[in-house]
Amino acid sequence: MIDDNIMPKISYFLISFLFFLTACTPTPENVEKSNQLPPVYPDYCDVTIPENIAPLNFLLRADGCDAIEVDVRGADVVRTDQRTITINARGNEAVFDISEWKALLEQAAEWEMPLVVTVTARINGQWIQYKPFQWKVARDKIDPYLTYRLIEPDYEIWNRIQIQQRCIENFDVNALGHFEKLENRCMNCHTYGNQDPQLSMMYVRGQGGGAILNQHGSLRKLNLKAPDMISGSVYFGFSPSGRFITFSTNIIIPGFHSLASKRLEVFDSKSDVYVADLKTNTMLRSPLLSDSTVFETFPTFSPDGRYIYYCAADSVLLPRDIKQLQYRLVRIPFDEATGRIGTEVDTLYTALQPSHRSSVCHPRISPDGRYLLYTVADYGTFPIWHPEADLQMRNLETGHVDTLGIVNSSKSDTYHSWSSNSRWFVFASKRDDGLYGKPYFCYVDKDGKAHKPFCLPQEHPTFYDNNLKSFNAPELGKGKVPFDVDDVVKAMKLEAEDFK
Amino acid sequence: MKARIGIFVLVVVAVFCFFQFWYPYHFFYHEQNQIFLWEWEYVSGYFHKAGGISSLVGDFLTQFYYYLYAGATILTFCIALAGLLVYRALHNFGIKTWMAFVIGLFVILFLTICHFTTSYKLSSTISLIGWLLAFWCVSFIKPKWTRLSCVLTMLLPVYLLFGTPVIKRIQGPDFVLEKDFAVDNEYRFGNYDKVIDIVRNSDGWTDQMLFFYNLVYARRGELPDHLLDFTNNNLGTFEKIGPNTPLLTILIMNELYWLLGDMTFTERAAMMTNVFAPANRNVRMMKRLAECNIVSGDSLAAQKYLRILGKTFVYSKWANETQRLLAKGQMPQYLAQKRKFVNQHDTITVSDNAHFLMMQLLDHDADNMVALDYILCSDLLLKDIANFKRDYDRYCEDNGTGRDAILHRIHTKKLYQEALCIWLAGTDASQDEWQHYIFLQDVMRRFGEYNEQRGDPRFKGTYWYYFDKAKTINDR
Repeated sequence: MIDDNIMPKISYFLISFLFFLTACTPTPENVEKSNQLPPVYPDYCDVTIPENIAPLNFLLRADGCDAIEVDVRGADVVRTDQRTITINARGNEAVFDISEWKALLEQAAEWEMPLVVTVTARINGQWIQYKPFQWKVARDKIDPYLTYRLIEPDYEIWNRIQIQQRCIENFDVNALGHFEKLENRCMNCHTYGNQDPQLSMMYVRGQGGGAILNQHGSLRKLNLKAPDMISGSVYFGFSPSGRFITFSTNIIIPGFHSLASKRLEVFDSKSDVYVADLKTNTMLRSPLLSDSTVFETFPTFSPDGRYIYYCAADSVLLPRDIKQLQYRLVRIPFDEATGRIGTEVDTLYTALQPSHRSSVCHPRISPDGRYLLYTVADYGTFPIWHPEADLQMRNLETGHVDTLGIVNSSKSDTYHSWSSNSRWFVFASKRDDGLYGKPYFCYVDKDGKAHKPFCLPQEHPTFYDNNLKSFNAPELGKGKVPFDVDDVVKAMKLEAEDFK
Repeated sequence: MKARIGIFVLVVVAVFCFFQFWYPYHFFYHEQNQIFLWEWEYVSGYFHKAGGISSLVGDFLTQFYYYLYAGATILTFCIALAGLLVYRALHNFGIKTWMAFVIGLFVILFLTICHFTTSYKLSSTISLIGWLLAFWCVSFIKPKWTRLSCVLTMLLPVYLLFGTPVIKRIQGPDFVLEKDFAVDNEYRFGNYDKVIDIVRNSDGWTDQMLFFYNLVYARRGELPDHLLDFTNNNLGTFEKIGPNTPLLTILIMNELYWLLGDMTFTERAAMMTNVFAPANRNVRMMKRLAECNIVSGDSLAAQKYLRILGKTFVYSKWANETQRLLAKGQMPQYLAQKRKFVNQHDTITVSDNAHFLMMQLLDHDADNMVALDYILCSDLLLKDIANFKRDYDRYCEDNGTGRDAILHRIHTKKLYQEALCIWLAGTDASQDEWQHYIFLQDVMRRFGEYNEQRGDPRFKGTYWYYFDKAKTINDR
């Protein structure tokens, strides 16, 4: 039971620490060149980044690495007045100074010049210079705030949940929902209306809970459940005017795969879609959206407010026939002026061919109305645990579907939301370990071409290695929301507003 | 002076002896329900809240509770230091020596009592030591106003560094819980005989003790031989993990699923332990998560946990060695053996009903003896003879695939034979059926005798007696 190498470890640490205090930072000498890309983590090789992103701090995942040099400079070697950053550090971590970083990115964006990153590392005493990689700096900025829920990957049971807001231009984080202040309740997605921080909603579950609606910092607690509904609201989206929300009600059942690698399967035994008028506190319904033989879910308004897009599947016997549960992408007209729901449902995407059955989830339309982004999985309604779940992007003008090969991974890529300028989207990806979702940002250029995404940068490069929470339901916002967890605590004491 | 030193040493030795010899397994609870990573990103996180130094030092020291004698040594040292600081500070303040000494001893006694409960962490004692250090430093300052201004100046920094001790409750030593921890950890370290000794030599038995007692015998293929050793037995197969499940039950459930070979539920139970552990961290479960992902072939997920464990003092050796093996396409032998039980057939269940899980495992591999014994014994504990017979027929039939040794073992288990007698008698089975199922003639003879004197205490230890007299978990 007693580890006999404990004393050497302590001695090693003490000696290393003293050495660290006294020694100079090593610089490369007798460098050997490698034609391989450096094993940086997170994978920031050849990604496109916005001008306003926080420093892409990373670590080098190479055994025996005890010193590192990172050189970042413009690809245009002719310009002599360009800024550069050179980091020399002990260990394997590259951490950038934020002010130098900002200045460098600003210049690179202005000059439309890619940055070349050269990593040189001392590995087992030998300096190795890896093949340089590039960062393309897009002038199109990304919305500066990101909200997400932090939760253990096993979503069926919770403890100590937080909803956080992160400024992605730096590393500032604040809580919108915190277990310590909200009686350790379950909390769900925080979603903006039109990426506007003045309009957003989140759920706080449990007795006395409700949907917390933020309208210019004034919080309302809503009971979005009429007596005849199967549940309260689950997935939702705001109309462009902010007067309506469309939401689904779902009876959510967690199931367990006997195949360990597949883990969890979550499905709806019932689900319907409704619209709530936040001005008159009334529910708007359509029999087409609450058909007992059809599962309807993931509703979202089109940016012009003329349609509600959602996913629908014919009901099957569950969980037995879960693999026959394929959702199609549909839409139904909506009139924001009158609050009328249309009478015909259009099917936009279905994949029920025996050779390739797939299920559509989470449709989200870019604010400029050009692209429809959605997740495709083999079956079901919970792509978070489906390794095959991938994003696809449909050009709504041409009908062309981009399977986003450069964006997707061999693990789950899903739960996405757009930046207000339609040039960026964020999504949750489990590409690193298959368990813990992390936010990735993807650039869509003016020609509609998606670029290689990058992971949300953290102040400490080892953050994700040590982190044991999933970043769930990431949403981009144009600014900081005008409330915090203390306001939510106060709002929870309000009587919930009922809807007729 | 000599008397005081003598008393102090005596008290300190008594504290050490108590924790080392009467209360050692509590240390493992604390050691497991946290994780300490030797890395700046992790360490710097301690300073996001007041009391960072206390938590940092407390958690740092707590990880060494894993080692024999380290827990009692560290704790005794901290408690003694607190008492000594009180004594020295009061002495400097001019309090009478004996009075200061008695107060110092009282602090030692009080802290010892605080550590009886699992909710009191070492960081709280470190926090107190921090305040006492400040108190001791102030005691050297003589001018009254200088002293007062020093106290006022130091309050905020000391609070920020050391926070305040958190005492949720005071209680006497919980020796029942100590035994729960004892069986859990002796099982964890593979000291199976010791688990049996602890349980057998106890005057009373908790569910947790019986749970591990059964696990040990299940490992040895002797579960049916010992199922009726204790009334109100607990196999763990009727437990479900949810928000209302006691933490102790959640903590141990992964061991059952691990032994059965169900990696989906091992991972879930380990994940749930992390979810419900204080601060959502349990280093033992981190190791289990790495193990079960290696067994199920998910190397990316396994690497996640191995990297974390590689940053600890205690588990880094195992983590690094395992990573080295994985890099060569190998794995530790005990994990390789587990892999053959992993279910390759995918089905979905909506509950963690252990009976269904065990059926899935046995449908995949009917030679999974642990699962077979657990499913049959679970049926029998519930007196569910119909399901027992159904499961017996399903998994204990000779299908001509070379299961002779396994079937011989099953057919000669007295418990199963006795239970089959009940079914055969209850269904007025034909002579052929009796011959088909009953292999032990002695059981047949004894069954005849029992039926003439049903409930006779002479038959204690038989399944017939249990069937007639005992209460099942449903009855209770």
